[in-house]
Amino acid sequence: MKVWVWRLGIAVAALGLWEAVAAPLNPLFYVRPTALPGALVAMWQVPELPPLAEHVWLTLREIGAAYLLAVAAGLWLGFLLGLRRTVGRVYEPLLAALYAVPSVVWYPSLMLFFGLGPASKIAFGVLLGFFPIVVSVLAGIRQVPETLVTVARSMGAGPWTVFHKVMLPAMASTMVGGLRAGLALSVVGVLVGEILGSRAGVGYVINYAYGLMMTREYAVLAVLVAAGVLALDLAGALAEARVKRWAG
Amino acid sequence: MGRLGVLGCQAASLAALLVIWEIAVRTGLADPLFVPTPAAVAGALGSTLREALPRLGDTLLKTLAGYALAVGLGVAGGLAIGSRRLAHAVAMPYVVAAYGVPKILVLPWIALICGLGATTAVLTATLFAVFPILLMVAAGTRDVDPTLVTAAVSMGATRGQVSRKVLLPAVLPSVVAGMRVGVVFAMLGVLLAEMFAGTRGMGYLMQRMAMAFRAPDLFAATAVVSVLSIVVVLSLEHLSRRLSRWR
Repeated sequence: MKVWVWRLGIAVAALGLWEAVAAPLNPLFYVRPTALPGALVAMWQVPELPPLAEHVWLTLREIGAAYLLAVAAGLWLGFLLGLRRTVGRVYEPLLAALYAVPSVVWYPSLMLFFGLGPASKIAFGVLLGFFPIVVSVLAGIRQVPETLVTVARSMGAGPWTVFHKVMLPAMASTMVGGLRAGLALSVVGVLVGEILGSRAGVGYVINYAYGLMMTREYAVLAVLVAAGVLALDLAGALAEARVKRWAG
Repeated sequence: MGRLGVLGCQAASLAALLVIWEIAVRTGLADPLFVPTPAAVAGALGSTLREALPRLGDTLLKTLAGYALAVGLGVAGGLAIGSRRLAHAVAMPYVVAAYGVPKILVLPWIALICGLGATTAVLTATLFAVFPILLMVAAGTRDVDPTLVTAAVSMGATRGQVSRKVLLPAVLPSVVAGMRVGVVFAMLGVLLAEMFAGTRGMGYLMQRMAMAFRAPDLFAATAVVSVLSIVVVLSLEHLSRRLSRWR
């Protein structure tokens, strides 16, 4: 109870402070929170921006494609490296070294190779989303108690049964955390790609508004996208909690 | 397989990758306009390095400034939030939300206010690095065994002594872990800001190379930055191992 009062108080205080600080400043640079709802309505009525629905839909499709590919590649590589000890010992350090590189250095090369269209955004989303998935699969496999696998095998369980009944429950909670982190990073990858250089998508519209100094519209878009990302992450958290309950 | 065997296999795989890559481009499987051969990249390395070194220094300096800010804010904030139960309960949802929101959304606004110079890059680096550090330090502070503190206090330790002798060694590993993660984020923030709104620095150079289709130079620059950040992270890891021995 007390916690909620504090949380609400902090939110109100922060917004109020911003409002007070921004009020006498140039509205071209400092958008007041109270100006946002008006800007949203105005944006809807006077379409100065490119048609939003199309761009949102494109971004969602890019994210979907990137995430699907990231999951497929991440699970494949994770199981390949995790189930074969020697392969894992050789390639895991290389993967860890790549993890230490700030991912955005790959983006110019991807843009050069795939062009300014959706392909480069999808490729960047895959690249970012794929790492946490691989890492979580590897960590998950290490958590599977070997005795359980041995016991199940000696009782005549086939490879599929061992995988499904023994390994999966033991790795599930770690793996689902990685899948959730991967989704968040795929979203980031697509957005970063769109903002750094594109001709369509939400990031493009944000960049368009920024380029024309339509700061209010940019602020509305940024807040909406942030809210969307947080909602998606919340859905991911709920799914994660469910899987964890299933795995015990 | 021994340590040498693993290293040998890694070297052999990398060499094989380079050979396959070279063949793929030579046979026309990949267009050399977009994917240069490893030989071409190696040839471009010298000239790229000369072009890149001053910009790399620029980028590193900005990274260091943003990183220092992020470590200061992150450690102080993490200690403050982690050591008080109410503050932790109140602030954590905000910190987690700030951590989860793609920071790139704020970048245009920072660039609008701070311009195309170093300030934008430094602030972006801080923004990217501060939340992971804060989260790790807060978690580490929260997990300090309270019996240690109680024991020290009951034996007559002052507040300062408790902070220095009990809390600091207990929190240090999470601080170092946060710093290790933070440095990659700080460099990412600087490069991203330079790519988005820069006129200097490595990110700007790479973006311009991509736009000009200077593929060999771009690949060489990517390799240089990658190797540099791997070296930085490995040395921080080395440091953290030495610190844990000190403990």
